[in-house]
Amino acid sequence: MTQEKQIIKLKSIKKEIQKGHFTDAFQDLVTLSEQEHDFTLQSRYASLFNSIPSEKLKLKDLRLALLATSTVDHFIDILKFWLAKQGFRVEIFSSPFNTISQTVLNPKSDLYGFAPEFVWIFNNYRDVKLSVPFGASPRECDAAVDIIIKEFVELWDVIRKQSSCHILQNNIDLPNSRIFGNLEGSVGWSQTSLLRKFNLSLALSSRPGVTIFDMDYLSSLFGKNDWHDARYWHYSKHAFSFDASGLVASQAASLIAAGKVGAKKCLILDLDNTLWGGVIGDDGLNGIQLGHGAEGEAFLEFQKYLLALKKRGILLSICSKNEENIASDVFLNHPDMLIQLDDIAVFKANWKNKPDNIRDIAAALNIGLDSIVFIDDNPFERQLVRKILPEVTVVDLPEDPTSFIGAIERGSFFESLAFSNEDSNRNQFYKENTIRSEHQKQFVNLNEFLIDLEMESEVGQVNEQNLSRFTQLINKSNQFHLTTTRYTEAQVRSMINDKMTILRYFCLIDRFGNNGLISALIIKLQPEIFYVDTWVMSCRVFSRGMEEFICSEIISMAKLEKSNFIIGKYIPSKKNKIVSSLYERLGFKLAKTEAGGTTYWELNMKEPLPKFSHTIKRSESKNLSPEN
Amino acid sequence: MERQEIVNKMNSIFCDVFDDDSIKISDNMTSSDIEEWDSLNQITLVVNIEKIFDLKLNLVEIGKLENTGEMIELISRKINP
Repeated sequence: MTQEKQIIKLKSIKKEIQKGHFTDAFQDLVTLSEQEHDFTLQSRYASLFNSIPSEKLKLKDLRLALLATSTVDHFIDILKFWLAKQGFRVEIFSSPFNTISQTVLNPKSDLYGFAPEFVWIFNNYRDVKLSVPFGASPRECDAAVDIIIKEFVELWDVIRKQSSCHILQNNIDLPNSRIFGNLEGSVGWSQTSLLRKFNLSLALSSRPGVTIFDMDYLSSLFGKNDWHDARYWHYSKHAFSFDASGLVASQAASLIAAGKVGAKKCLILDLDNTLWGGVIGDDGLNGIQLGHGAEGEAFLEFQKYLLALKKRGILLSICSKNEENIASDVFLNHPDMLIQLDDIAVFKANWKNKPDNIRDIAAALNIGLDSIVFIDDNPFERQLVRKILPEVTVVDLPEDPTSFIGAIERGSFFESLAFSNEDSNRNQFYKENTIRSEHQKQFVNLNEFLIDLEMESEVGQVNEQNLSRFTQLINKSNQFHLTTTRYTEAQVRSMINDKMTILRYFCLIDRFGNNGLISALIIKLQPEIFYVDTWVMSCRVFSRGMEEFICSEIISMAKLEKSNFIIGKYIPSKKNKIVSSLYERLGFKLAKTEAGGTTYWELNMKEPLPKFSHTIKRSESKNLSPEN
Repeated sequence: MERQEIVNKMNSIFCDVFDDDSIKISDNMTSSDIEEWDSLNQITLVVNIEKIFDLKLNLVEIGKLENTGEMIELISRKINP
């Protein structure tokens, strides 16, 4: 979004607040704000948030003391907003500028009266005055660092003695100036090396109740040349760039939230186009992208990343719209599949809606929905989960698999204040305790959500422009494909002018964009009979009312043709179980069963016809004339 | 950039920073004319000016300015050297 669009959006949020629509306004602010946004935007988010009476939002109280050696007044407002994004209404105690020791050492200081849950000691590199003679020995360097580390540790101990708070301690954001230039990184006695040693010693000295806040990482991430703005240090004692306020606030808020409500425990993953490229049900074991080529390597790298998360104690579960045996076949038999079935805590591959499946997974693992992160390439599924299960964290997955890891990293979902051995054993624990709960009833009402989707389907006759996509869809579909027919482009082209054949394509547009041509239909006209020769549909749009919509279309066409019967056929294959009962669901009667399981279904046009409810608006392509 | 354009941009910065759309800046306006114009908002103003006009200001110079008119002169000199 450009800065101008952001400003327009902010104005509309301001109006919402004036109208008293506080929850909506806050939700809009949450969606709009990104940690990378500059200070001018961050301070506007903060001031809009400030103008919402905080009791109107569902936020948990939090008490934070900020002990800083620099000016943090502007930062505090932005931090309040980012903590609210994590669900907290924070009250902040800030010690007068540069009075950390006095505040901490005085047992009667307001700090202890405030009873903070978190104390954030907000140092910057200027606070650590390390110097040794040029060319000093490693032992001299160690000694110099140790003296200062000891001061830090003593301060923590004093605080922890008087208060049960958790301490966040900034490490040192290394400066961007180097007296010796590159040599600073090449010898142990330089300022750069001493500060690096200091940061390492600080980490080694941290103890239960103390977490180091990695300002040096954040300053590198932001870019040290921009991070250090000497003008504002000298003018107003601001220790880091204003434009890094969002980044620092957002990272601190994630960390504090992890400490307060517990870290995320489980990552629920889709399969097709998430763990591998392509659709296993249609493309088959040899057709999916995994392991080779740029795309295949990116998916492999993503799987490696997920396994590393699993190793540190994040549970991996699967929630995919697929046939279970087809989906698990990839885990068992694809040579490049890194994640094994054994790595998965709960495996759900079925055609139920995802919110129900996610609830089942949470129940089976006995974890809260708020400890789940959901990853899916399909914006429809993401929005559905967001809407029905707002407690679940949904990752906005980019389309390009090379950016998947970055998207998860940016979200800082798996922050934690400490690490324990139980963390890494969690997978085993949950596997042993998984409760198998089969046949859960469906309790999500999709209808309201589907209305919000504003779906519109374009119906049209096949022509030269869409012939190849139409043919391709027929030949590549395996799952929603009732008769397993295959046609060449030439064959389909010859049907265009055949008076006894009707070709229809269906496109689908919804709030998330254009899904393109998603269904193809070939009808053969026989005396009295309207015969559905081929019906394929992309499984991406299954269970959204499209089946019902297309069936209504079939019935109206059969009426126009004055056919007496509509006949549909189902030829079972290894992959099309999903449509085995489609005609039955659509109100057709079973007419005949052949050896091998092929079934014929009929709809008598003289009898009362089924009525379908769906939420899809119909639009016609211009090429659709009555005689087609 | 014309002086009037600078004034307009400055005016909308003031409205944003002090969250008051009714502010009309004038050349002899000073911090005593706006109640919220304290040292903190002074910095917010400066950061916003740097961003909107895409320039870096000498903060010591800023401290010496007498009124809003002088600030506009300074910006004008920076962007129309």
